[in-house]
Amino acid sequence: MKSLCRALLCVTLCGLAGASFGQDVRLPERTRVVLDNGVTLVLAEKHEVPLIGVEAVLEGGAITDPGSQAGLSALLAGLLEKGAGTRDAAAFAEAVAAVGGTLSAGADLEAITVSGEFMSRDADLMVELLADMLQRPALAEDEFDKLKNRAAEFIRAAKDSNLGALVPLYGRALLFGQHAYGRPVSGSEASLAAIRHADVQRHYEAQLGADRLVIAVAGDFDTAAMQAKLTDAFAGWRAAAQPLHEVPPPAPLTGRRVLLVDKPGATQTYFWLGNVGVAVTYPQRAELDIANTVFGGRFTSILNNALRIESGLTYGAFSSLSRHAAPGSLAIYSFTETASTMAAVDMALDLLGAFRTSGIDAAQVTSAKNYILGQFAPRLETAAQLAGAFAELEQYGLGTDYIDGYGPAVAAAEAASINAVIAEVYPVPADLAIVLLGDAEKMRDAAAGYGPVVEMPITEPRFKAPAAEPAVAGQRSK
Amino acid sequence: MALFAELRRRNVLKVALLYVVASWLILWFVRNTSGALGLPAWADTFVMLLLAIGFPVALIFAWVYEITPAGLRKAVDVDQTQSIVYKTGQKLNAAVAVLLVLGVLALFGERLMPKFEFLVPGVPEGDPPAGTAAPADIRSLTLANGLKVIVWPDHDIPNVVFYNFVRAGSRNEYPGITGLAHFFEHMMFNSTENLPPGEFDRRMEAAGGSNNAYTSNDLTVYMDWFPKTALETIVALEADRLQNLSFEPDVIESERGVVASERRTRVDNSRIGQLVEQMYATAFIAHPYQFPTIGWASDIAAWTRADLTAFYRTYYAPNNCTVVFTGDVTPAEVFALAEEYFAPIPRQPAPPAVRTVEPPQLGPRRLLLEVAAQTPLLHMAFHGGAAADPQTEPLNLLLSILVDGDSSRLHRALVEDAGIAISVAGWQDEGFDPGLVYFYATLPAGGDPAAVEAALLAELERVVAGDVTEAELAKAKNIRLAGYWRDLATIDGKAAALGEYEVLKGGYEQLFTLPDRLEQITLADLAAAAERIFDPAGMTVGVLAPPASEAPDR
Repeated sequence: MKSLCRALLCVTLCGLAGASFGQDVRLPERTRVVLDNGVTLVLAEKHEVPLIGVEAVLEGGAITDPGSQAGLSALLAGLLEKGAGTRDAAAFAEAVAAVGGTLSAGADLEAITVSGEFMSRDADLMVELLADMLQRPALAEDEFDKLKNRAAEFIRAAKDSNLGALVPLYGRALLFGQHAYGRPVSGSEASLAAIRHADVQRHYEAQLGADRLVIAVAGDFDTAAMQAKLTDAFAGWRAAAQPLHEVPPPAPLTGRRVLLVDKPGATQTYFWLGNVGVAVTYPQRAELDIANTVFGGRFTSILNNALRIESGLTYGAFSSLSRHAAPGSLAIYSFTETASTMAAVDMALDLLGAFRTSGIDAAQVTSAKNYILGQFAPRLETAAQLAGAFAELEQYGLGTDYIDGYGPAVAAAEAASINAVIAEVYPVPADLAIVLLGDAEKMRDAAAGYGPVVEMPITEPRFKAPAAEPAVAGQRSK
Repeated sequence: MALFAELRRRNVLKVALLYVVASWLILWFVRNTSGALGLPAWADTFVMLLLAIGFPVALIFAWVYEITPAGLRKAVDVDQTQSIVYKTGQKLNAAVAVLLVLGVLALFGERLMPKFEFLVPGVPEGDPPAGTAAPADIRSLTLANGLKVIVWPDHDIPNVVFYNFVRAGSRNEYPGITGLAHFFEHMMFNSTENLPPGEFDRRMEAAGGSNNAYTSNDLTVYMDWFPKTALETIVALEADRLQNLSFEPDVIESERGVVASERRTRVDNSRIGQLVEQMYATAFIAHPYQFPTIGWASDIAAWTRADLTAFYRTYYAPNNCTVVFTGDVTPAEVFALAEEYFAPIPRQPAPPAVRTVEPPQLGPRRLLLEVAAQTPLLHMAFHGGAAADPQTEPLNLLLSILVDGDSSRLHRALVEDAGIAISVAGWQDEGFDPGLVYFYATLPAGGDPAAVEAALLAELERVVAGDVTEAELAKAKNIRLAGYWRDLATIDGKAAALGEYEVLKGGYEQLFTLPDRLEQITLADLAAAAERIFDPAGMTVGVLAPPASEAPDR
């Protein structure tokens, strides 16, 4: 009785109010400067705790790796940490750790990124180390050899202990084929073996330079002083030797391709179902985020509700979008006991089909809006998060409205336009790249039911299927 | 029709309308003041019941009696020509109008005012922190049922974080019910007597909130992250599942499948997960820390509904929980909600103490897992202290020197210099009882576990011998201090840290003395901790490698 009374009252008030939170999330005041050599600086003060976050983004990344040398940018990024300026690898690591700082470099598809966090008293050291790392890296051959060998061993270790992390690599290789988005950012055992020390040195000269660089800092500092420090440290850097090339949009897949990765003895099957999605500049981002929140982006999503909550087939089922300069993947991912492989994959396919045809209703729209808006503010809470956000805006040439206008755009989205976006972006179940990783012996027949199958053992030193058959257009196997 | 006309004539319909409007106002008032006045949570239900009983009484009264210039008379006795029912009706109309206006004003007032707070004596203000190190705006309150509520306001973002630390973990299990504490973590998201399965999450997400939970050897911890507008919804949902969880057989079976899937992911299909599980089962022979938190597969398949209900009654009691709120709230509003929703949950007898003390280990233990794998693993563990042990912090600094980052001793020795491992890491358990200090290395394909073991032991002997430098100690302190500030940069980190110190480390105030305590730690403290912990007789070494016939050539 009490809860009924309360619920009714709540409905009344919510009906009057609608979702008001999350719409006023705004980026803080920032200073933006472009140096003569092209380096872009973005600075924002935040004094809650004595920390400074920094994010330096160099456009380029894994898409600039030669096709046979996937992992080249990732190796170069790793090597930036292994000694720079007057410090060798050990001294550089010691300098960062001695003051309790962090400074690490990594590659993703379209950038090499250096992220760091230092206590505010160590701002000078932070700028010195960052400048050394980008402009004066040692790129020592012995460190290169160690790093390269370890990178390959990490892939083998993941094949023993972290299968879930590998499935999207197989999936994107299958979906994108020869397109740059199909390459594993960290390389494969085979592509790493093809990289020589001289390749990394050449790649550094060609792809890293002032014209590619954005440095975003946020936190407990004085803007004028920090701007002077960064200008001093970076104004003299040269440009990258090569111009940045644009990535053509990948072609969406028609028909099905199935890759069966054999891991003998595995007791569950990991599966990935994907096709080409959207770019980071997709105009109806708010509508799409609402759609994916409902379909596979939260605990009560359609996918997780059916595969986990109602059937107990899995610990989790998700859908996610990778958004880059050109359209990345839109994929469903889950895992289930080997014997229930077909039940779970069939269920995911049915849900995808139903989602496209039925769309979502008003209650789901309201709930998803509230969820997105309610979870928005904590994503821009710390100095390091703000630095990352500013750097991303610069990298993709997005205005601050990308963040400041997001809340209002989510609040304003309507069911009809969301459903139109679903029909436009989500693939039909007949057009999918499908990866099944598990004990092939026990699910070979099931796999064949989904389309033309290519099989490879997990010990194969690459993620790309040996001879991916061309997809059969319009094939419907279920 | 004649009856209806007579009902109208005698103003019975108007009285009914007036009664309904007045009841609505009374209920609104009770609901908005019960927290502030310290009324029990059932007060508004009780008032509603009284009003419902009164309704027919009022109508019968209106039918039977009539107001006359001479006072109240039975309607049948009143001379119709002298009746003033018309005038009475006008007064009733006016009363309805006035009450309606009041009601609308009250609703708008509630909507427009930031928060309707009654400054009435009896609203608990909570206790300020002890000592001077903690921020002065933190407040804590222990309810009559034993539930402690801690609030740390932070208005940086319009969001709130809620943590509930339940003192139940695999430490509280025994053979046959291993994994039950973790299974409970899953069940707590299912149905209650008031809500069907899935409704807890649907309501929370629809209000803009998200949640998660984890189970350790010692604790089950529930976390909600939400906009401040959802505060009451979240408190109501959390209080509901703390007292009204239901155990429907089909839901139990479905959740059993989910947990089995989780076990396959974390343990059975992860070589690292398999070795860690067997290490704990080997290092502990008596204490329940030997049980895997996720549970043995046979127990996951076999525990019963009766096991679940007994566990719920015992451990999900307010006196066995501590809740923390951080973010855009005031202690007053949190405490008012806590009194309303959490205070009615009955206290339970204290859970049975974990009596078993792990006996001293009298020599090194070894285990070998021979399974298909490309990269061998070498794990090494020693018996450590409990979270509240004074050596926990010196040992944290020592571990930082050994395994934190590329400049750490073990990384340099095993990964960079000797190249016999591709990664090395470590941790110490911080629980109610003494846990393990744990190192784990992953080897390259074809690597030699014996070489890694020897190199690791040699490094530990060095720190026992006391060769840590002042520079290394200063570095470890800086890393710890930066991590401390990083934790306190988010309302989530604040809630996690407050609860951890409150439940495991002698009180939340201790969190804020950490910077000072760090300053006082010396090299001698590190050497003493190393000597006590890194005792070869208390060592457990685990190797995972492919059978000799399948090992690749180097």
